[in-house]
Amino acid sequence: METLYTVLQSLSEWLLGVIAWLIDWTRLGFLSGIADWVETEPVVTFLTTLLVAAIYFITLFMFGLCFIWMERKFMGRFMDRRGTQVGVLGFFQNFADGIKTMLKEHIIPKAADKGLFEMASFAIIATSAMLLGCIPLSPQFYVINVDLALLLGIAIFSFAPFGILIGGWSSNNKFSLIGGMRAAAQLIALEIPILMVVVSVVVMTGSLSFIGIVGWQQDNIWLAFPLFIGLITFFVAAIGESERVPFDLPEAEAELVEGWQTEYGGFRWGLIMLSDYLRAYIMCALVTMLFLGGWDGPDFVWAEIWYLAKTFIVFFFFIWVRVAMVRIRTDQILTLGWRRLLPLSIVNLLIAIALKTAEVF
Amino acid sequence: MRIEDMRYTKADHLRATGYIFKSMKVTFKNLVRATVNRPCTILYPWEKLVYPDNYRGRPGIVLDKCIACARCVKICPNQCIEMVPIETPELGKVKRPQINVARCMMCGYCAEECPTNAMMVTPEFELAAYNRADMMFDPIKLQHPHKPGYEVNYSFALISEMKGGAAKTYAKNDPEMHDTIVLDGVKCISCQRCAKTCPTGSIEMAETGELNPKTKKPIKWPKFDNAKCVVCEQCVEVCPKDALSIKEVL
Repeated sequence: METLYTVLQSLSEWLLGVIAWLIDWTRLGFLSGIADWVETEPVVTFLTTLLVAAIYFITLFMFGLCFIWMERKFMGRFMDRRGTQVGVLGFFQNFADGIKTMLKEHIIPKAADKGLFEMASFAIIATSAMLLGCIPLSPQFYVINVDLALLLGIAIFSFAPFGILIGGWSSNNKFSLIGGMRAAAQLIALEIPILMVVVSVVVMTGSLSFIGIVGWQQDNIWLAFPLFIGLITFFVAAIGESERVPFDLPEAEAELVEGWQTEYGGFRWGLIMLSDYLRAYIMCALVTMLFLGGWDGPDFVWAEIWYLAKTFIVFFFFIWVRVAMVRIRTDQILTLGWRRLLPLSIVNLLIAIALKTAEVF
Repeated sequence: MRIEDMRYTKADHLRATGYIFKSMKVTFKNLVRATVNRPCTILYPWEKLVYPDNYRGRPGIVLDKCIACARCVKICPNQCIEMVPIETPELGKVKRPQINVARCMMCGYCAEECPTNAMMVTPEFELAAYNRADMMFDPIKLQHPHKPGYEVNYSFALISEMKGGAAKTYAKNDPEMHDTIVLDGVKCISCQRCAKTCPTGSIEMAETGELNPKTKKPIKWPKFDNAKCVVCEQCVEVCPKDALSIKEVL
């Protein structure tokens, strides 16, 4: 099967062959060792991986921008107004914002813990970018395909509360500290239901890799139908995990200036904002993968298109929930997490076990 | 349903169904409506709202009707109106109001005060300019073609009559019912300045029948024609001995 890796491997082999030929062409004897080394397997693999990562990152980065654009336009229509207006259908507003944040000065507060302050932003941005690699777009288009990809993704995802708490703490500002504390409490409260739902999916499919999970769903049934409770639980928890309305307590603009991001400015803030959307994309992608059959669909278009279309539909529901509801209190969010979603996810797990034991699928 | 009729019969916002499903229904309806038709936003420089007939934009003036009574100058809350001398072939040398539109807040008081409805409110509101001098509208620039509806009219009732029970309303500039100028004859020195300054010519110097004991000439006091008077108070201001004062109708 022709995957992104095989295509780019032949490309990088050809590229390195050209480089080796150029080195040979110079007829400098002392370079012949380098020419031989360039064509060895580790170098080819390294270049291939680099190219795959770059292409994958740029692709998903663009889709992250599309998510922001989609949210702005849809929110505009939901609120009976027009969204962004810059460029074709307002798409270039994102680029304008990016350029603007790039031109801003980078300021670190005087009383902040400078090392931690910088590290926290990098931790959040880097983990969000890493997460992109964990999720394949199709059996052909992926960066990593390990057996434990789902577990790896969830593990990287749960690194975020740590970075957020550090960022809030090191800013040395009451708003950011409260925001960081809220974020940590909320993310931990909603992490458990998410994991329980993921366990139920794993019980049903018997696989921890996305390609395995989607393959099982292609063979049997989309998991949204047997595990509907799990879908709802996961959806609600996913909104909370990506810190979106109505669970946007960590950056409640009305009470905490910008939450834990208050002291961040310039391009770091822009990247943190982008990573918020990337995390929302990850959650949409997880809903698509685990419950909606991933890239499963009729064969007349590419699998990637099915996958992205489903992701965008899930994100539409994210936007819908965002415009329809108001922010809830911290105690309500914790009550929802621990006393509603956790029992629901356990019920869902029991359903999954029952279905598996009765050998329905 | 009109919004005034809507009531919280049940505490909808406290229930999950009200909090989640009802709000989602409302927003989705809004999405469909805004997508099928169009959002209510007006893309201003390219589209414009239809302004109502009584829209109060910048003030405009009809120079022929103006009598230079300067009531607009006195009422202007931002003090952006000033009387400036102009010279035109039709009118000759006259004084007419000039408006600093940059300071104008478009309240329309000048048009409301105007006794001859020469000052009126126009629907013009796009007044941006590149420098402040362009915002200074001299009387020539301030001119605007008159259309019925541009002038500001009002009617009023007197408090003293309302107390009696019957409230009769009077139109703006009712010649029978407005403030009057009263003369304190002891102070008058017969200088005739009030008669010279009156823009409507409603002041006439009438003989009192007495003779000045020193010069043996007849003493003349101003006599006010209330039907013509517009209560511009210029005579009160110009009087050197404070002999004139305003008597308000209440």
